[in-house]
Amino acid sequence: MRIGDTGLKWLFLAPTLLLLLFIVVFPLIWSLGLSFCKYNATRDEPPLFVGLQNYRRLLSSPDVWRRFTVTGRYVLLAVAGEFALGFGLALLLNRRFYGKGLITTLFLLPMMFSPVVIGTFFRFMLDPNWGIVDHVLSKLGLPRIAWTSDPRFAIYSLVICDVWIWTPFMILMTLAGLSTVPPYLYEAAEIDRASWWLKFRYITLPHIAPILILALLFRTMDAIRFFDQVYVLTGGGPGEVTETVPFYIYKVAFSYWRTGESCALAYILVIVIIGLSSIYIHYLNKVRGR
Amino acid sequence: MSPDMLPLFFERGGSEMRRALTALIALCILIPFPAAPAEEKVTLTIMWADWEPAHLLLKLAEEFTKETGIEVRGNFVPWPQYHDKMFVEFASRKTSFDICLPDSQWIGEAVEGGHLLELTDWIKEKVDLNNYPEMVIKSYSEYPDGSGRYYGVPGLLDFVLFAYRKDLFEDPKEKEEFKKRYGYELKVPETWEQLRDIAEFFTRPEQNLYGIAMWQAPLATAGLVDEFLGLFWSKGGRLWSGYEDKKVVGYLNDEAGYEAAKLWVELYKFHPPGAANYSVDEVLTAMQQGLVAMAAIYAAFYPALTDPKKSRYADKIGFFMSPAAVDPSGKKHHYVQLGGQGMSISAYTPHKEEALKFLEWWIREETQWKFAEAGQITPDKRVVYDDRFLKLAPINEVVRKSLPLLRDFWEIPEYNEMAEYMSRKLNQACLGQITPKEAMDDIARRHEEILRAAGYYGR
Repeated sequence: MRIGDTGLKWLFLAPTLLLLLFIVVFPLIWSLGLSFCKYNATRDEPPLFVGLQNYRRLLSSPDVWRRFTVTGRYVLLAVAGEFALGFGLALLLNRRFYGKGLITTLFLLPMMFSPVVIGTFFRFMLDPNWGIVDHVLSKLGLPRIAWTSDPRFAIYSLVICDVWIWTPFMILMTLAGLSTVPPYLYEAAEIDRASWWLKFRYITLPHIAPILILALLFRTMDAIRFFDQVYVLTGGGPGEVTETVPFYIYKVAFSYWRTGESCALAYILVIVIIGLSSIYIHYLNKVRGR
Repeated sequence: MSPDMLPLFFERGGSEMRRALTALIALCILIPFPAAPAEEKVTLTIMWADWEPAHLLLKLAEEFTKETGIEVRGNFVPWPQYHDKMFVEFASRKTSFDICLPDSQWIGEAVEGGHLLELTDWIKEKVDLNNYPEMVIKSYSEYPDGSGRYYGVPGLLDFVLFAYRKDLFEDPKEKEEFKKRYGYELKVPETWEQLRDIAEFFTRPEQNLYGIAMWQAPLATAGLVDEFLGLFWSKGGRLWSGYEDKKVVGYLNDEAGYEAAKLWVELYKFHPPGAANYSVDEVLTAMQQGLVAMAAIYAAFYPALTDPKKSRYADKIGFFMSPAAVDPSGKKHHYVQLGGQGMSISAYTPHKEEALKFLEWWIREETQWKFAEAGQITPDKRVVYDDRFLKLAPINEVVRKSLPLLRDFWEIPEYNEMAEYMSRKLNQACLGQITPKEAMDDIARRHEEILRAAGYYGR
C-alpha cells in the first residue's frame, strides 16, 4: 500500500487530533448535554432530559448567588492586591542594582510551588495556636487572629495566600512590559525636564497598558476558577463564608453527585468568565488602537 | 538526521524510505502486548482510609497470603478525600480496588448505585450474625435496614469517645477548686451538662489551656455532625419521623433538638481559638500538645494520643465514654455515635472468589483476636465480651460499655448533603452568625427539600 504526502501528514496529525477530540471537545459537548439533564454519575440510570430546569433552579437559588458574591469579593481583593504589589515591585526591580538577577528569581519562586503545598503551609502558618504569624503578632503585643476560622478574616487568609503566589506573575508581566519602552523616550523627557509622574503617565503607562490588561485578564480568569487553596486552607468554612463557586461546583459534583446540576453551574461560570474577558479584551483593543 | 533535513526527507525521500516509515508507524500501533502468563498470581487491593487500622490490616493480611497465596495490597486515601476518591472510581464503573471499607453511612449511596457486590446468600451461609450487635449489622452490612439484604461484613468498630488529661483531672488542687465552684467532684463526666462544666472550668486562655476540642468543621465526613449527634440523640433528638415517612420539620427542630444545639454552641466557647475548622488532625494535635483538657475523637484514632512519639502527654491521657443527657422532659438518654466501616467487595472486581476468601478469613474469631491484640477495635462480641479483651488497649473498657449504646445516622444516598448542611449551619451558629434555633429550623427545612428533590415523599 502506498501513502502519499497528504496521507502521511494526516497520519502524523491524526493521533493528536483524536486525542484533542476525546480529551477536550468530547467532554465539553457531553457536559453541555448533561447540564440539561437530571443525572447522577454514580447511579446506573441514564440522564433524564429536563430542559432548562437546572439553570432555572441555580439562577434562582440564593445559595448560588451568595457563592458568586464570595467569589467576586475574593477575585476583586486578590487581583487588586496582586496588581498593586506586583506593579510596585516591578517598578522597583526595573533598575540596575547589585544582585538584581537573584532577587528577581527569588521573587518568582512562589509561582513555581504547587498551590496545594502552599495552602498546607499557610494553614500551619496561620494557625492561631501554633502558627508563626500569630506568634509574631502576639510578640508585637497584637491580638491573635483565627485567620482561617473567623468569619471576618477567613476570606483574607485566602487572599493573602493567593497574593503571595501570584504577585510574581504580575511582576514578570510588568517587567516584560517595561522592557519594551524605548529608552530614548525617557532621554527626551529628561531633556524636557519632565517630572517622574509625567514620564510615568505619558511614556511608561501607555507602553505597558496592553500587557497589564493581559496580565489582569489572565489573573481574573484564573482567580474565578480558584479552587485548590479553598479546599486545603478553609474547606469553604467557617460556615460558608469562603465557599467560592468552583468549590461549590466540586461539592455538587463529587459530594452530592448532582452531576447534571454541577455541569450547568460550570457552564454558568464559563459564561461569566467569557463575559468578563470580553470587557478586558474590549479595553485591550481600545488601548492598542490609540 | 538534523531537524532542518526533515522537510527534505518528506519531499525527496524515496518510496522505500516512506514505505519503511509507514511500516514503522504501523508496527508501533500494532505491536502486540506480551501475553499474560497462563497462571497469573492474584493480588487483592483494599481501599480504606489512610490510618492506623488500615496499615494494621495489611500487616495481618500477610498471614492470609501465607495461607492462600493471594497477595494483598493497600490503596489508602486520607480521610478528607476518601469518600470522593472511592465514589469517583465507582462512577467510572471500574475500580482499582477489589475490597473496600466504606464509612458506615455511605452504604446506601454505594448500594443504590449498584457498586457493592450483594453478599446475602454468602453471609447466610458463612456468617453467624449473632456474633455482632444488631446496630453493627444494620450499619455496616445491611441495606436498607431490616431488608435482610447484605453487602458487607463488619470491618472496624468505631464510635465517638473522649480523651482527657489525667494529670489535670487527678490534681488535688484542681479537684478542690472545681468542687468549690460547681459543688460536686471533678471526675470524668457522666452527663453532657457535667462535661460543659468541666470544659468551662479548664478554659484558661491566659495559660493557653482550653476545656475541650471537638470536630467543628463544616464537613459531611469527619466534620461537626459526626460528633454533634451523640449529644443530639442523648438529649432526645430525632432526625426525622421515621424511615418510612422521613418528615423532618417538627422532629429535628423540636425542643430536644433546640436544647442539643444550644448546648453544642455553648461548648464551642470552651474550644481553642480557631476551632471552627477543627477536624481529625486538629483535634488530635490539640490533645497531643496539651492545649485542651478533653477531646472528642473516634476511638480508632486513640493510638495517635497514646504514642509517646506523637503525643507530649501520651502517659497522661485517659479515655471516657460519650456522656448521657437529660431531655427537656427530664428523661435521661444515653447514646453513642457510631462510626466505623463494613468490609465490602466492589461489584466491578474480577477477583470475586478471592475477595470472598479474604472476607471469610477476616471474620474468623482468630483474626479478630489478632486485630484486637494489635490494639484495634473489633465489633465481634466473642472478643469484646471476653475479659482478656479489656487488657489489650486502654480504650477497651469504654468499647465494651459503648457497644450497646451505639446509634448511627442516615444511610440513604442523600446523607452527604444532609450531613454537610447540618454541619455548616451549626458551625455558623457556633460562630454567632445565626442562633441555634435558627440553625435547627433551617436544617429541618433544607433536609425536607433534599428528601423531596430525591423523590422520597411521592413514593
